[in-house]
Amino acid sequence: MSTPARRRLMRDFKRIQEDPPTGVSGAPSDHNIMVWNAIIFGPEKTPFEDGTFKLRIEFTEEYPNKPPTVKFISEMFHPNVYADGGICLDILQNRWSPTYDVASILTSIQSLLDEPNPNSPANNQAALLYLENRREYEKKVTKVVEDSWNMTENLNDNFPSKT
Amino acid sequence: MDNDRSHDNLKEQDYLKDMPNHEFDEAVNTMQSSIQDEIAASTDLLGDKLDISMLKNEYSADDVQYQKKIQNLEKRYSHVRKTRGDGNCFFRAFGFGYLEHMLSDKKDYPIFQENASNSFQKLMDLKYPSFTVEDFFENFISVVNSVKEGVSHTELLNTFREEGMSNYFVVYLRLITSCQLQSDSDFYQNFIDGGKTLVEFCKTEVEPMYLESDHIHIIALTSALGACVRVAYMDRGGDDLSFHDFPEDSQPTLHLLYRPGHYDVLYPR
Repeated sequence: MSTPARRRLMRDFKRIQEDPPTGVSGAPSDHNIMVWNAIIFGPEKTPFEDGTFKLRIEFTEEYPNKPPTVKFISEMFHPNVYADGGICLDILQNRWSPTYDVASILTSIQSLLDEPNPNSPANNQAALLYLENRREYEKKVTKVVEDSWNMTENLNDNFPSKT
Repeated sequence: MDNDRSHDNLKEQDYLKDMPNHEFDEAVNTMQSSIQDEIAASTDLLGDKLDISMLKNEYSADDVQYQKKIQNLEKRYSHVRKTRGDGNCFFRAFGFGYLEHMLSDKKDYPIFQENASNSFQKLMDLKYPSFTVEDFFENFISVVNSVKEGVSHTELLNTFREEGMSNYFVVYLRLITSCQLQSDSDFYQNFIDGGKTLVEFCKTEVEPMYLESDHIHIIALTSALGACVRVAYMDRGGDDLSFHDFPEDSQPTLHLLYRPGHYDVLYPR
């Protein structure tokens, strides 16, 4: 059934294929255009470099009037990412605008990786280490970067909604 | 009564303060969306035209202040059309009410249509993303153009009652409002309190859906589209209704009823 949300998601998908943004990619899952799988590559020259982080984006029929829910599926260590992978990012909450699309959401999350906001922490330990012990912070980040490769190898086992 | 309520609020705030951020955000979101669902289930996006005297039933008979104001409203207006109280009511009432009026009276149409058409380029000048804005604009302008092309009253009403189309229209009216505020930021900045910049205000209080409108939204939207709107204010203040025209000293095309936090469409006698 074509609804404004679904029509708009097809548009988003078309755009991400025709004009792919650097360092991020996403596509609807096999059977459901309302659930997308996405990958964000850790930005170069940051501790996250070489990471291939997987995310799941869940839309409702109210998209684009309301933001989707975005979660990291890959292990993440970041001041603004909760233990369950949920992301604390203003544009996904009170600063959401219907003018954002999937590409701009993923690009914003990618920038968040190296520009955390330790003042509103979702992960207290990460925020503390980021502020007070950057070396230890980067070691933890390197660990999640390495873990993200393992997940790529088991992509078919671990990727959500893949049957 | 008010004291009791603020006491309860305080207790609630203490309880919320102890919650971790994540749970707090989720609790607030769940609360908000359950309130919105409740409202959605109980009212249409746009209701039918009702006799103005129906408003009397919404207040108790001995609520002298409101009953008197409604009597005065009855002298000037014959009907009211209610909108859903989902935070978008001003934009929806404005969008439908204005186009509905222009179905029968085309006097304001050329200027409205011209401003509407030019709005897209203005947003592009402010570096809005064309890919998504275009989608909203195309929907918006096709509805505006349908008025000239002889759309029926029922079709127009159905467009604004269909959630997808209706909300797309509201999104674009919000963008026009935001664009106008930013294009004339020296002027509008004076109205913004709380230390927000104008852009910050637009991003957090104009563009997101389901957020209520204030005077500043009305001033910006009417001036962007060259529209004339009269708002009849009915609240606990004063003994009688008060009226405000946007822009001042204009001949109003559309009349709206304001009750605290909500706008409906009014039809003059």
